[in-house]
Amino acid sequence: MHPSLAIVEADPQADRRLLEEIAEWCDRYTPLVALDGADGLFLDITGCAHLFGGEQAMMRDILSRLLSQGFDARAGLASCPGAAWAVARFSGPAIVPPGAERQALAPLPLSALRIDARARAGLQGVGLHTVGAILDAPRAPLVRRFGAGLVRRLDQALGQAEEAICPRRPAPPLSVERQLAEPIMQVEEIEALSHRLALTLRQELERRGEGADALQLSLFRVDGAVHRLVVRTARPVRDPAAIRRLFREKLAATGEELDTGYGFELVRLSVLEASPFAIVQTDLAGESREAEAALALFADRLAARLGETALRRPVPVESHVPERAVRMVPFAAGQQKKPAQGPAGGERPIRLFARPEPVDVVAAEVPEGPPLRFRWRRATYHVARAEGPERLAPEWWREMEDAPERDYFRIEDAEGRRFWLFRQGLYGAVAEAPRWFMHGIFA
Amino acid sequence: MARTAMARETICALRREIARIEGTLPEPLAMPGGQGSDVLRHGGMAARRAAAAGVLETGVARFDAALGGGVPLAALIEIHGRQTRDAGAAAGFALALAALVRKEESGRRRPLLWIGGRDLFREAGNPYAPGLERLFGVEADAFLFCAARHLADALWAAEEAARVDELCAVILEVRGNPARLDLTATRRLHRRAQEAGRPVLLLREWALAEPTAAPLRLEVGAAPAAPRATLAAPLEGTIGHPAFAVAIGKSRAGLQESFVVEWNPDALSLREVRPARARAVVPASGHRPHPAQAGGAVVALRRASVPSAPGGQPPREGRSAHRRPRRTG
Repeated sequence: MHPSLAIVEADPQADRRLLEEIAEWCDRYTPLVALDGADGLFLDITGCAHLFGGEQAMMRDILSRLLSQGFDARAGLASCPGAAWAVARFSGPAIVPPGAERQALAPLPLSALRIDARARAGLQGVGLHTVGAILDAPRAPLVRRFGAGLVRRLDQALGQAEEAICPRRPAPPLSVERQLAEPIMQVEEIEALSHRLALTLRQELERRGEGADALQLSLFRVDGAVHRLVVRTARPVRDPAAIRRLFREKLAATGEELDTGYGFELVRLSVLEASPFAIVQTDLAGESREAEAALALFADRLAARLGETALRRPVPVESHVPERAVRMVPFAAGQQKKPAQGPAGGERPIRLFARPEPVDVVAAEVPEGPPLRFRWRRATYHVARAEGPERLAPEWWREMEDAPERDYFRIEDAEGRRFWLFRQGLYGAVAEAPRWFMHGIFA
Repeated sequence: MARTAMARETICALRREIARIEGTLPEPLAMPGGQGSDVLRHGGMAARRAAAAGVLETGVARFDAALGGGVPLAALIEIHGRQTRDAGAAAGFALALAALVRKEESGRRRPLLWIGGRDLFREAGNPYAPGLERLFGVEADAFLFCAARHLADALWAAEEAARVDELCAVILEVRGNPARLDLTATRRLHRRAQEAGRPVLLLREWALAEPTAAPLRLEVGAAPAAPRATLAAPLEGTIGHPAFAVAIGKSRAGLQESFVVEWNPDALSLREVRPARARAVVPASGHRPHPAQAGGAVVALRRASVPSAPGGQPPREGRSAHRRPRRTG
């Protein structure tokens, strides 16, 4: 071994991560980027090449940018994935014009067809070493001898069979981007740019009669890293000022995590989800609609800054178990059908503990009755008055068969605080004494 | 004598200046006679809107009178609960005020936003919509809850919410005396409330009184409820409408009084419970000092950063030995 040779153990996972980073970076050329094995990428550049000055210029741009990042990449461009794969790996940077697949592939070795090793060895065993040797061979004996896979690969390479690539992320229905001559680093500049992009986006959204439900701002850093900021909205938006405000909150929430490095050279605003934008004529008072929109915008900004689940609204659920009687849904989830009102229960507390807290009952007058004294959070309470019990049976269709009942008591202590206590289980029903819990506080 | 008069003149001038900046009601203090006793107000838009918003009459005559007409609508209102276990009473009174605000503007039915910290909600209990709906007449879909992870987030959310016209009131619940909730932060909230003409209710659990920009501080504790009323007579041993022991800790009028009020969930109204009629109002505050005196017990303008322990122990004496007046001789 050469003494100056550095030996590093193979790390397939790190290679994979690197490939994904590069794929992320390639997103700047086309939204349809797919991973190919451990060392390749497919870019579907249909309709994108003219943005970069044609196919030749685009390929040169990709290769030179990758080279400057330290990657020695090879590229091939063809009208079908199979031919592009073969050309990229076996004949260097080349562009195969549509219809010229046969000539381009004929001199290449059999490996260029992406066939399995057994078929290849079989073909080589009978003296067939290049693609050209089997291009015009009769199909039936080939299928009989080497299976249908070989012929399918051959058709794919020639563009005679459909082949689809699997893009890493769905292509957004709408995107607006801007290449920057001078990289930007300030958060304010990013905000301002999002506003300008949103202005362009609005025209297209208006033409389609849609509004954005989810927006993504992709920031491509000079050194290849890509940041993506996603905001979701409670109702479709297309107002640039509103979009800018949402991204301002998102940027503020991201804060230090957004490493601007040497700046961003490409900024793209994509609409991830869109839905019809209802244009409603305001009534003469002209208030209610705008106020509703203002509330939705406030909720969106809150969600962008504090997280999707920060602002929630209660939705009644048909259940008599107190903790299940209401479900908290994110504001953006929209109005839902109101369930029919369940059976009218007794008084309910205004605050409910997420988990009932255990209580030591020091003394009770009668076993089945309310406590006289109890300890909760290390303080002793003397019960002055009590109402109850209100017995709530467990929901047998959800719980175990022998889940104990709860007897709820409304209790007022000597100082006037009102609590909601329950005893789980009945005396005598189980071996150990039933336990008491604090479940809520009344006003 | 002349010096005292000079000092009074200076103080009055400063008070006028403060009143002009804040756009507040006239101070109920005796002014030195002569010229300058009229306060010229040209506060901004905020002050005018605040004045237009007026006050909320709670329906408790003595309470309204002590506050100089009622609870100010366009202001930051502090509602203190002494301990975390009083969270029910303090939140109940704050919601009662919010429900009164909502009742006033019949027809619009704007939602109510309740902002709190995640850990606070875990400690004092999550707001429970079925109970709130029954007690305060606010439908479940008219409630919005925001659980923030940090106080800074909660303050930001409250400031932003105070600007949204589609909310009828904002409740911000904070526990203890965090350093971030200082004079500046409360002033910002107060200004937002003034501009919007809607109250921001600052609900504080387990907190000591400290200087804030809120013009009104109410200290709320639990009070025994009256028994349930029946056609014949009150039914002994039952727990009726919720009652609160409310003490005015700080107000424009400067009167420190305490009341026991009862909330009627059916009529959505407050009424005072006279000690003579109610059962056992006196031990409402138990072994701890009466809430009415608590406001005065706090050393003025000293930051109360160490809240007293729930056991009622006084905070550690901050004065060290060398600060005591030294005896020389």
